[in-house]
Amino acid sequence: MERTAGYTIKIQNFEGPLDLLFHLIEKNKMDIYDIQIGEITDQYLEYLGQMERIDLEIASEFLVMASTLLLIKSKMLLPKPLPPGDDPEDLRDQLINSLIEYKKYKECASELKNREAYYGMMFYKVQEVFKVMTFDIVNKNYSSEVIPGIYADVCIRNIKKTNPRKEIMNELIVKEKITIRSKIKEIVRFLFNKTKFKFSELFDKGNDTKMDVVTSFMAVLELAKIKKLTIEQKETFGEIVVKKTRNSEIIKHP
Amino acid sequence: MEIQKIEGLIEALLFASGEPVHIETLSGITGVDGKTLINMINRLSDAYASDNRGIQVREINGAYQLCSKTDYFEYVKKLFEPRQKQGLSQAALETISIIAYNQPATKVEIEKIRGVNSDSSVNLLLERNLIKEAGRMDAPGKPILYETTDEFLRAFGYKSLAELPPVDEMLKIEE
Repeated sequence: MERTAGYTIKIQNFEGPLDLLFHLIEKNKMDIYDIQIGEITDQYLEYLGQMERIDLEIASEFLVMASTLLLIKSKMLLPKPLPPGDDPEDLRDQLINSLIEYKKYKECASELKNREAYYGMMFYKVQEVFKVMTFDIVNKNYSSEVIPGIYADVCIRNIKKTNPRKEIMNELIVKEKITIRSKIKEIVRFLFNKTKFKFSELFDKGNDTKMDVVTSFMAVLELAKIKKLTIEQKETFGEIVVKKTRNSEIIKHP
Repeated sequence: MEIQKIEGLIEALLFASGEPVHIETLSGITGVDGKTLINMINRLSDAYASDNRGIQVREINGAYQLCSKTDYFEYVKKLFEPRQKQGLSQAALETISIIAYNQPATKVEIEKIRGVNSDSSVNLLLERNLIKEAGRMDAPGKPILYETTDEFLRAFGYKSLAELPPVDEMLKIEE
């Protein structure tokens, strides 16, 4: 008891009962062919006890092994001769064979672990999808001038396609910030000194755009609608005359 | 094609493929017999090995593939996003060892040797394409048989299963 009392197994994850038994055999420096079943069984059970104490779930395989060990141990305690086929030596040999078999693969596993680490340090290319060119490139006389030549052709074609009035069009699409509100103010200011004016007088400076004309016209209509001024046109497409009304004065000069 | 050029051609083919190219495929394309091709591949391989070259030729089950040398691993990996390469667990390694030496093998055979349930290990190995199903055993319950894949050879650096050392050699028990 003294021996096992001071004996603590560091709780570690064993791969199974054989792995645990193996650990115990090595720890006790026992010969695998000459296992002291009694001692190993005690330590095995001690380990299971520790697992239980720290609430580790014990896989059923561990319990099966525990019962096998106990069976061998108890049979060995029985006085001989035993009935044929019931020799504890047989059971013990079976266990030893299992252990030896397991040890082979356990060592093989550690060899594979090394190889896995080493061969994992190589990089492979993933297969790419290459489109196989089926057209005949052999007879075409490709030279270094081909690409500049093609580029020049493209440029010429592009120039031909381009509208020569491109520059003017750029001006046309300038966004004009003219609002009816601003035109109303302008007209009111215009009427400040006059009682009437011709619509065309608004655009005397000559730098007005279509947008100016349209917006001014809408401003005039708007002012007419709220009766701030009246408009007259003698004939179709004739000059529009804008006149002040009495209301006009009420419009606050901005 | 002149025989001198075949070595370069093999190199071109292996480069373009990326994946392992079987010796028969190489033979079909080059019109050179397998034995000569293997000599050429060995010469190519030697050239890669002797010069300070970054790539090497690997043989996997009769197929050949270019890959980077392990010497440069620390540098080449910087090309890629850092990712922890998860090695196989002890349980999975034990399981694949048993399959490698006893293939095709059933789960029961694996569990008999390991003394513990091995379902999760087998599933993991299937997932990693290291083993594959190889039909069913003609026994009660028709259990599934498993065998290793070419990916196993590649991952563990074997040219073929014949290269696996005899398992008894690994057994060194202190008598």
